Amino acid sequence: MSTNIREKLADNVFFNEINVTRFKTMRLTAIALLPLEKDTASDFALLTQVLTRSCNEYPDFTALSKKLSSLYGASLSAGVRKVGESLALTFSIAGIDDRYALFGDEVSKELSDLLLKVIFEPKFTEGVFDTEEVEQERRQLIDLADSEYNDKRVYANSRLIETMCKNEAYGIKRYGSRETILKCTPESLKSAWERMLRCARFEVFYVGGASAEGAKEIFRDRFSQVLRAPEAMTTEIIRTASEVNRVEETMDIAQAKMLMGFRTDCSAGDEDAFAMRLMNVILGSGTRSKFFLNIREKQSLCYYCFSRYNRFKGILTVESGVENCNTQRTVDAVLNELEEVKKGNFTDEDLSLAKLSVSSDFLSLCDTVTGNEEWFVSQIADNEFLTVEETTEKFSKVTKEDIIRAANKLTLDTIYILSAKEEN
Amino acid sequence: MQVKEYVSEKLREKYYEIEHPTGLRIFVMPKEGYNSTYAIIGTPFGSINTEFDLKDGRVRVPDGIAHYLEHKLFESEDGDAFAKYAETGANANAYTSFDKTCYLFSCTEQFEKSLSILLELVTKPYFTEETVRKEQGIIGQEIKMYEDSPEWRVLFNLLGAMYHNHPVKVDIAGSIESIAEITPDSLYTCYNSYYNLHNMALSVVGNVNVDEVVDICDRYLFEQEKTEVKSIFPQEPYEVKSDYVEQIFPVAVPIFNLGFKLKADRLHNEEELAHLDILLFMLASSTSPMYRELMDKNLINSTFSYEMFEGGGYSAILFSGESRAPEKVAEIIKTYFDKAKIEGLDAKDFADAKKATYGDALSSLNSVETIANMLEDFYFSGRKVFDYYDSIGSADANFAMKLLSEIDTKNASLSVVKGE
Repeated sequence: MSTNIREKLADNVFFNEINVTRFKTMRLTAIALLPLEKDTASDFALLTQVLTRSCNEYPDFTALSKKLSSLYGASLSAGVRKVGESLALTFSIAGIDDRYALFGDEVSKELSDLLLKVIFEPKFTEGVFDTEEVEQERRQLIDLADSEYNDKRVYANSRLIETMCKNEAYGIKRYGSRETILKCTPESLKSAWERMLRCARFEVFYVGGASAEGAKEIFRDRFSQVLRAPEAMTTEIIRTASEVNRVEETMDIAQAKMLMGFRTDCSAGDEDAFAMRLMNVILGSGTRSKFFLNIREKQSLCYYCFSRYNRFKGILTVESGVENCNTQRTVDAVLNELEEVKKGNFTDEDLSLAKLSVSSDFLSLCDTVTGNEEWFVSQIADNEFLTVEETTEKFSKVTKEDIIRAANKLTLDTIYILSAKEEN
Repeated sequence: MQVKEYVSEKLREKYYEIEHPTGLRIFVMPKEGYNSTYAIIGTPFGSINTEFDLKDGRVRVPDGIAHYLEHKLFESEDGDAFAKYAETGANANAYTSFDKTCYLFSCTEQFEKSLSILLELVTKPYFTEETVRKEQGIIGQEIKMYEDSPEWRVLFNLLGAMYHNHPVKVDIAGSIESIAEITPDSLYTCYNSYYNLHNMALSVVGNVNVDEVVDICDRYLFEQEKTEVKSIFPQEPYEVKSDYVEQIFPVAVPIFNLGFKLKADRLHNEEELAHLDILLFMLASSTSPMYRELMDKNLINSTFSYEMFEGGGYSAILFSGESRAPEKVAEIIKTYFDKAKIEGLDAKDFADAKKATYGDALSSLNSVETIANMLEDFYFSGRKVFDYYDSIGSADANFAMKLLSEIDTKNASLSVVKGE
């Protein structure tokens, strides 16, 4: 089983080595955690794109792509995601393990070097990021932000969060808004880059069979040259909803999207967090859940209806796609299934199978390179990193009463409906 | 019973192919150090197989029936297969593509029980008027979900523009109208024709060994008489039906699919496939001059991608992405392909493209899921997995040029979905 050897390299900079020899590739990921703020989210999102487009040594994306292609088609990627009310800037490089190189090349060392160069040695023109490079990536980031509207399920989910968390930092999108993307400048990106190196909490993850010492030493060396001043990060948890907010919008689409957002009065680190995660499995996650068995299979209301618990923000969301005329029926059905769990109308077998299902999913996760990384990345805002066994152990202690107590903590905050325009 | 072993020293992998006495073809690749096992069983019955010849005559079934059958096989007289899988902790699913239907699970314990559920699921059909009717609501909503997906729409609009008659142009799930015609009888007709063990293949990869798999198959499967079934496809002209198609849909960024229609009298073999992958990497990946020009002119963004798309009676190279000027994108792509035909391929770039294609293919051998799906796909396409990897290593530019000469950029369709 995968274990994580964690070492502090500098103030709030950690290197996590997950040594596994069964894969043919390696992966190195650096995550920088920063506060999610309205004025800087776009700068950080754009920064990740600009940094992985070129660097001082490979000054445009064709040169960088060619370098990657000569390293057996290695991939360099970047992105931003929200973890509670923090923004996680992610920089990853992945490529083949040295053992499989056709000409005995030391690929993993070159890959580690390249990732460091991309983060620490950007291409600057007159002391700031190159204007043309910034414009190229700005155009693409605007496309990325706009294309959220293309996918109606993503769009509806985004509208739910925006509506429900309008007065919280969590309501800010990971790319910011079109307006804030337009405000970014080569100078503001440079400030964001400096702030990232100085103030972010860094978690570096290495998954592979070769030794990670080389990569670790370069990170240590780079950060020894940075005057670190890590910032504190917090997430506002609204424990209960005072009233139900209902928003309905229409669009020229075929199927209505029905979404609900609950406050859970339970977030990462709380005693009931493990119970809440299992409660979510019993209620609405997977093919044995109440939603699947009753709302889909018995009532034939939908093709998909599921719930998701976000412990870092303390919310639980429900999504479904239904006929326009069935939206209220589906809202009622969801509340009804929740009521059943609250009353304890589920069996001990339901609980033990939910435990079996999560532990099996966890073990399977360790059979892919990204799964090994994701296992630890997904705990980045927890107080501690647990192994699969330790997590399974925590789940095994959850009782039926714990599930009932967890379910009873839920209060409905927002219903968001995107309905299809009625045909005349 | 014949057990064949395939070994690749270079990839440090081996797998086994077994002709089971029941007629089932079995592939097993043990993976040391893995926790999980992934098993998938498939039949070459997909959305395009709506017309076929049986011993006693030709049959025409409603569009979307392969997918409908996939849903219905999860139910049996003694309950739902998902519920049975839950007891083993396995994660189960199924999918229907253009040319096949597959049922799968992954598990970390109780492999035997999970595999027996999978084998029972595909060998013991149970449909009644009522259970068939119940599914209409669920699949109806699945069809509508896809109607709201611009990526799905732009693809099927493209297929409709490229193909005059071939059923690849029909939505995999069919339509609300076509699925209303599906009855228990028509489902049994399809089932009896295609879900015969002689037509099917099982691939198992992960924490498992050959004896285990064969032993379970020995116990849960029975010999079957081989059925004769032949899929019939209508005559399809070489030329595309139309070179442009457009749909107005609420999208913020317009999306496009460009397809070069190829001759499809047979599937490409391993060697051809490897060369096509290298060729497309050279011409269209982010390292290519074409990609560079499209980016510099602000015509594409990082969603740009390409793929080889082929199956029984259809073959095409597809490009997709978001663009505010899709017609210009299509023009530039065509120009670069035509130019490469005249100027040839740079030796250094070809060597790098070989390495990159090898690295990419190598990474697929990490995942039990990817390997099992690859074993299944390759079997139904008449290809051998390690031969594909060997072909990448020994690829040569002259053969790639020959394949390039077969790509006719004038035989192309462009599909666009844009907002009002």
